[in-house]
Amino acid sequence: MSIPLVLYGEHVDLRPLSLADAALTCRWRNCDRAAFLSQGATEPAEQAKWIAARPASELNFIVELKTGRPVGMLSLVNLDLIHRRAEPGRFLIGEPAAVRGIPVALEAMKLLYGLAFDGLGLLRIWGTIAADNVRMIKLQKYLGMREEGRMRQHYLVNNGTLQDAILLGLLVEEYRQLTLPRLEALIESCRPATSTTPTKAEALTC
Amino acid sequence: MLTERAIQGIILEALDNVNAEIGADNRIAVNADARLFGDDATLDSLSLVSVIVDVETDISAQVGRAISLTDDRAMSREVSPFTDVRTLTAFIIELLAENGS
Repeated sequence: MSIPLVLYGEHVDLRPLSLADAALTCRWRNCDRAAFLSQGATEPAEQAKWIAARPASELNFIVELKTGRPVGMLSLVNLDLIHRRAEPGRFLIGEPAAVRGIPVALEAMKLLYGLAFDGLGLLRIWGTIAADNVRMIKLQKYLGMREEGRMRQHYLVNNGTLQDAILLGLLVEEYRQLTLPRLEALIESCRPATSTTPTKAEALTC
Repeated sequence: MLTERAIQGIILEALDNVNAEIGADNRIAVNADARLFGDDATLDSLSLVSVIVDVETDISAQVGRAISLTDDRAMSREVSPFTDVRTLTAFIIELLAENGS
């Protein structure tokens, strides 16, 4: 089974995370928007070590605009080709001002799910989300994921508190019947009326 | 029958919910002129979905049947119904009128 190096979309591409992304992703991981992710590296060198240590059971991607500008990251981890399942995660938009008005997060998710179910032939994806991350839980449920449980005090999040995790799962038939059509409808509805020319607001970062 | 004002109130409440869900640095303006998605808009796509989910849920509960804001009509519009509060309000009024709610 061959895994494509780059996943190409209309608004974004997903390319493999590399050591050259250490400083950038370290900054993203330490901004407010990463508050719901588990604690990560605080220094670029530490982040580089973490990137170098990624196992074969993980596919880690940088989300790039079509201009080549990196704006976020996401991963498919705990890839298990025997049981044909994996866990999408580490989803973070690090440059929020650069993605406003572009369905970046939705298309990045569509590309990753397409890789999981169509590219790798998985039957199930699953994941846990910090219980206070209401927005992400709402999104995933809207896109077809079902709540399968709650794990108590599962995350030590960036603000130093323990949080429960909500366990969510999505089967391949649910993906085809609900998730993919809904993602495509959302992306189409959000299609920019004009080009994605950078604006002054893009100078802002987290 | 939901009035235009009631529909707009539901949308503004959904925007309030987004503000409660995101960091203080990213708070969005909540008013009838607020732009939702597109150039110069303040929502990212995750926040837009949050608004869509909340508005669909609230409208559906009030009219007693399921309403979808991302149907073929939304996709085929030249100007997205998610451009601003006014376009979304008008789109919902149109959806409800077509279905006699």
